[in-house]
Amino acid sequence: MSDTRPNAHLIQLTVNGRVHVLGVAPETTLKQVLREELNLTGTKSGCDTGDCGACTVLMNGRAVTSCLVLAATADGAEITTIEGVSDGADLHPLQKSFLKHGALQCGFCTPGMINSSLELIRKKPAPDDDDIKTALGGHLCRCGTYPRIIEAVKDWRSFEGVDLDTEPGEHDERDQERDHSTVGRGVMRYDGPDKVTGRLEYTADLKLPGMVYGKILGSPIPHGLIKSIDTSAARALPGVLAVITAEDVPDVLYGVSPPRYDEEILARERVRYIGDEVAAVVAEDEATAEKAVKLIEVEYEPLPAVFDPREAMAEGAPLIHPEHEKYARNINTSVEWHFGDVEQGFADADCIVEDTFEGNRTYQCPIEPHASMARWEHHAGKLTIWSSTQAPHYLRHMLSRIFDIPQGDIRAIAPGVGGGFGAKAETTPLDLCAVIFARMVGRPVMMKYTREEMFRHFRGRHKQYIDMKIGLKKDGTITACKSHILLDGGAYTSFGIVTAYYAGSMVPTLYKIPNYQYDGYRMYTNLPASGAMRGHGVPQPRFAFESLLDTAAEQLGLDPFDIRLRNAMEPDTLTCNDLDISSCEFEATLKQARERTGWDGKKGKLPPGKGIGVGCGGFVSGAGYPIYRSKFPHSNAMIRLSEDGMAASVHIAAAEIGQGCNTILPQIAAEELGIPYHRIWLVENDSVLAPTDLGAYSSRVTLMAGNAVRMAASEVKKQLLVVAGEQLGCDVNALTARDGRIYVAEHPRVGLDWDETARLAFSRGGPVTGTGHYSPPPGLGGKYKGAAVGTSPAYSFSTAVCEVTVDLETGFVTVDDFHDFSDAGTVINPLTFHGQVEGGIIMGLGETLLEDTLVHEDGSLVNPDLHGYLVPTICDSPRIVSRAVESYEPRGPFGAKEIGEGCLPPILGAIANAVYDACGVRVTELPITPERVLAGLQALRREREEK
Amino acid sequence: MAFCDFTLHRPDSLAEACRLGREYGSEAAYLAGGTELLVDLRSGRQAVAHVIDLGHLTELKEIRCDGDTLHIGALATLNEIAESPTVRERFHPLAEAIETMAGSQIRNLATMGGNFSCGVPCSDTPPITCAAGGAIAVTGPDGEREVAARDFVLAPRSTVLTPGDIVTAIRIPPQPDTSGASFQRFSLRRGSALAVASVSAWLNVEQGVIGEARVVMGAVGPVPLFAERCAEAVTGEAPGETVFAEAARIAAEEAQPISDLRGTKQYRRDVVAVLARRALARAADLAEGRNR
Repeated sequence: MSDTRPNAHLIQLTVNGRVHVLGVAPETTLKQVLREELNLTGTKSGCDTGDCGACTVLMNGRAVTSCLVLAATADGAEITTIEGVSDGADLHPLQKSFLKHGALQCGFCTPGMINSSLELIRKKPAPDDDDIKTALGGHLCRCGTYPRIIEAVKDWRSFEGVDLDTEPGEHDERDQERDHSTVGRGVMRYDGPDKVTGRLEYTADLKLPGMVYGKILGSPIPHGLIKSIDTSAARALPGVLAVITAEDVPDVLYGVSPPRYDEEILARERVRYIGDEVAAVVAEDEATAEKAVKLIEVEYEPLPAVFDPREAMAEGAPLIHPEHEKYARNINTSVEWHFGDVEQGFADADCIVEDTFEGNRTYQCPIEPHASMARWEHHAGKLTIWSSTQAPHYLRHMLSRIFDIPQGDIRAIAPGVGGGFGAKAETTPLDLCAVIFARMVGRPVMMKYTREEMFRHFRGRHKQYIDMKIGLKKDGTITACKSHILLDGGAYTSFGIVTAYYAGSMVPTLYKIPNYQYDGYRMYTNLPASGAMRGHGVPQPRFAFESLLDTAAEQLGLDPFDIRLRNAMEPDTLTCNDLDISSCEFEATLKQARERTGWDGKKGKLPPGKGIGVGCGGFVSGAGYPIYRSKFPHSNAMIRLSEDGMAASVHIAAAEIGQGCNTILPQIAAEELGIPYHRIWLVENDSVLAPTDLGAYSSRVTLMAGNAVRMAASEVKKQLLVVAGEQLGCDVNALTARDGRIYVAEHPRVGLDWDETARLAFSRGGPVTGTGHYSPPPGLGGKYKGAAVGTSPAYSFSTAVCEVTVDLETGFVTVDDFHDFSDAGTVINPLTFHGQVEGGIIMGLGETLLEDTLVHEDGSLVNPDLHGYLVPTICDSPRIVSRAVESYEPRGPFGAKEIGEGCLPPILGAIANAVYDACGVRVTELPITPERVLAGLQALRREREEK
Repeated sequence: MAFCDFTLHRPDSLAEACRLGREYGSEAAYLAGGTELLVDLRSGRQAVAHVIDLGHLTELKEIRCDGDTLHIGALATLNEIAESPTVRERFHPLAEAIETMAGSQIRNLATMGGNFSCGVPCSDTPPITCAAGGAIAVTGPDGEREVAARDFVLAPRSTVLTPGDIVTAIRIPPQPDTSGASFQRFSLRRGSALAVASVSAWLNVEQGVIGEARVVMGAVGPVPLFAERCAEAVTGEAPGETVFAEAARIAAEEAQPISDLRGTKQYRRDVVAVLARRALARAADLAEGRNR
């Protein structure tokens, strides 16, 4: 498919040892040639500005960003892509090392990381930490796998000539899992080999015959009315197949939460932020679609806009949704909660601490940009959609609702997803326009966001303005807490109702708070909509609370650990807001953290500029209720045995987005069935092949999908035990299945091979299958308005301690060490478990110190790119020690609960408290930039001089 | 994201490259590493009808010594420069400066010729080159000329280059044994982030007295900015904390920072004072043979 236009350049490239002669247009990049012409899609596309490193390949032995190389100028070069790194079927030792060290999560940055590491180890076969940081400092991994990547690169030679065995990996350090064969072991990721070789396809890697490309036009103004749209020039451009505006799409509002559906597919009359979708184009190729979008002429009547939620509430402020009375004063959601007697609580207090805190608009920033591809089967009236989504079920639900198609006629598929963190939890305009176009033009339609469009679509963290007050007795016992929060919601609701509730509901889950008042107001502004980001609504109030707790400890002369231990949540507690805490080892996390970090010898005793701080947090293990009313089980699973009994296929739709659920769910299946992990096949993320699961959000998958999988496996196992019992002539209840055998528990030698039993079962009754489902316990939560948010079958708890160095001259904060002690129930897989904790710490570190999406006075974004919006790199990654405390959650599969989100909320307070310990500066505004720290230091110096 | 449409030229000789540049004038841009130009063409910051790739001019990739002068070909990549034993031996601070820049996969493409030609105020190689007393070799339609590095950048994204001019080399003069130089940079993130401010200091210390000093600030002015009064303040003095602290305070006054997403004017001045003191102290240590 060479370019043969007159200005094309004829080039020769040797790619992975094979010579290609190609005609390329002048503007074609090396990345495009590799991905689009040679179908080497292991070279990923993340930003097009050289900032993320995902497209890195080796050119003449040197790692280069292929998005910044014109293909024509690479004429004659030797290129190695990730597909060429392994030697035939055998993986390169570096790839094996990545697998064994768990040095990959979503896998999107992995090919680039491996290529740059390869250049390094060829130059320096035994690199040290600094060498690795220098080589990989320009590669962004949003899953925060950096500590493992460093270990994997250092250790690569250990895997020279090594066959990666299929034996279970290392056991978790604790004892309680010894009773299990697979649960508790750090088995290699199920999708690992596909990720280290670049074989795993993400949505934007897909290609179907006849595929065409769509592009959306966004509003250039933050608020206004659409007077007219002229699409004629766009339509006239050769290659354009269709142009749509609001007139061409269903007149229906959509969103996330049914009470507040407020988004239009394309704006009908009003645009509410820069980027609000106005029109869209589908064309034969991407470049034509981009050109055509620019030819659409829209006439607007600009309206006054408001960008600050504090101003949005004022009388006379421009109304963003004036057509609905329920959004008067731009209040999207209001929460007014009062539990116990707060006034009395403060009256009883010996010490009251209060302060004002300001959060930041952080963006999840997955390295994989959103993409969606739709195909419409006209003859059958069926739709297939491939989307980079965390929740294929909700996507299908929403498409069904908007387009009035039965859910059964929609096949929703989530291919590899390169990170989500909440950014990919909702149906996007890409999904909707792709479906509309696929139906219109009868061809598969691919749509993708650029990095800038991702920032405009946003759905990142709500910036919160927090006034918080805590009352305590002399001994540190909390008597009352009062919190008033304004949330910057942006132009639409998204997940925001839930966010506004979460910002209040999770505060009383960590410490026993007898009297609690929360007033929360989520405001509309003319900015991109905020949504659900890892730790949904919780990290900023937790930052405020943990900061205030340290202030109180200081005022009361208590150690920060003592004040936390004094109030720590206990198991089997009903909180003041009616949340049902089941297992809880929070106290153990505190005690171990204090002991193992040498806290008592360090707190307040480190030299100037060095500090130590503690922060705590936790999260739900899945929401107690679905987003829309439904009686369907939240998680479902099917298992089918192969006819020869050698394998079991597990059919699930719990989205793998890097967190590792498609590794731990097979582990749970293997354990319950009684066969080794490597005998499991996974059939996932396809609504035709697997039953519904609500998806990867609110940290629900381990507990909920885990229970569903275990139930399905148990059903299969029961059938085999019956067959084995008959065969062996013994009572079914005396039998056990483990490690590929079914045997009498008391006489292990009396038994049958598992596969033989399965063959017998198939011979007698045909396919051996089992199904499982899970719904949270009924009746969770109180009776007040919004009581459902915060309910969960189980809660995680964690304590994080960090040590920092503050440059007292510039205010720069270096996080040297982090220790995390988590109560997450049973650890199913230590590799993915600690990977999640480390990633949560690194993401939390970015939120605390680096990240903020900034807005110009006209409402446009200052930094919608990866060189202005700084996420942590491998060079910013601290040393991390992650430990799980002994814990067992009776409602979880094998005692497990969540880890992926609860590990983040403690980080902000821990760093803020360590900075205070290091230099006496209490920063209450996020992020804690060097400039803010220095301003604090300068103020302290002035105070001292005045004295 | 697609580029604007352009014609790509791949001249085989420097003369041909110059001719094309003159012919197309402001309609053309030279392509070296591409890490700046291609980003600008994509974002629409720049739009040109002709891109002239210099990749065939292999003679511009050479790093060598011309007598005592360090000659760095304009098209040598940043990593080639930083890894070059010649560079490390002759002028180590340049290698140190480069190692703070971008990611390795960018340093494998980007060039010093490009870093100078773009004239971006937060660039890192121009200030340290200026401090070293370096010069830029330029070939144009009218022949070759050499421009002092300090005179090269005229304003943000504007240089002495006129259509058809191509930077062919960066030349660093011999560094006396009694001299020392240091590049100090501050950015908001450790890995791959643009400078908030940088200070390059160069000192010649003979018999315990600073005979000559150059202090150049980056990212705090429209061009690499010479802190003249700061340099004067240390000249004739013995290296020492008090002298350097006072000189650094002066440098902060001399800075002409703007406020942007990386820092306010005032914060940049504060940072310049710190960096200047550290750069002077380190340069003095090196000049006097400490920590060499």
